Amino acid sequence: MTDFVAQCRLEWKRLGVPEPLAEEMATELAADLSEAEAEGVSAEEFLGADARSFAASWAGERGIVPVPAGRAKGRRRPFALVAFTAVAAIVLIVTALLLLTGQPRATLTASETPETHHQLPAVTPFGSVGTGRHVLLLGNLAAPVEWILLIFAIVALGFAVWLWSSWGRSRPPGVSA
Amino acid sequence: MRHMVVDSQRRTELLRGVLDLCLLAVMNEGPAYGYEMTKRLRDRGLAIVGEGSIYPLLGRLERDGLVETYRAAGNAGPMRKYYRPSSTGRLALAMGVSEWRAARDSVDAVLAQVKVEVLHD
Repeated sequence: MTDFVAQCRLEWKRLGVPEPLAEEMATELAADLSEAEAEGVSAEEFLGADARSFAASWAGERGIVPVPAGRAKGRRRPFALVAFTAVAAIVLIVTALLLLTGQPRATLTASETPETHHQLPAVTPFGSVGTGRHVLLLGNLAAPVEWILLIFAIVALGFAVWLWSSWGRSRPPGVSA
Repeated sequence: MRHMVVDSQRRTELLRGVLDLCLLAVMNEGPAYGYEMTKRLRDRGLAIVGEGSIYPLLGRLERDGLVETYRAAGNAGPMRKYYRPSSTGRLALAMGVSEWRAARDSVDAVLAQVKVEVLHD
């Protein structure tokens, strides 16, 4: 087994590639490398100098392990994306809870009006309009802050989904002509 | 020196999007193992090295069901893993070639009009 293949085996072991698949790839690689070297092509010329990166890339593209994120310029991007997505999700959840529970307390404008007819309170995005004692929440000016945050969070999450889908598209290998 | 690097990068970027088609095309000529495919490509002027090795791309084609594989002994050599396009792969190749030709013709239509006068110091 060449040193290149041995390094690949180590990387596949580290990544948790099942042994039968690692053995299959190593056998394929060893046979090809052997032929290349017999023709005067070194492993480095054929596969590059970074055996571990190559091994991770191969296993990733086969779908055995996640595609390595460290390639190209994206080493930090997943972390930034995770943080961005997490913040957007937290803001979405918190604002949704605030709106559902009415906390912090919305500004209430209560007024006593004569009960003229009976009907169920109507619910609006900014509160509810009751009849009878007519508790008026429609004029709640505190709520829009939460609604704006909620909308921002939804937009941010949509953007995060788009970023993740872009990131998920693995980059094809490079070539030189 | 710098413009040579830019040229190389552009060539790499141009080829990146069609390398899967090139692989499907060379294995469509006849089943081939990995190194054999690199030789077929090299004979046509495409040298693939390093992380750009064909193996990750072959892995993806296999994962996507565009190639079929089988094992057979090479020319009195060790057992090799041979690749050939699946029926889905052949369809993808046909569509990809059509797309490539349309794109190439469009770019040609633009670039064919270019007349550049380069002045040297």
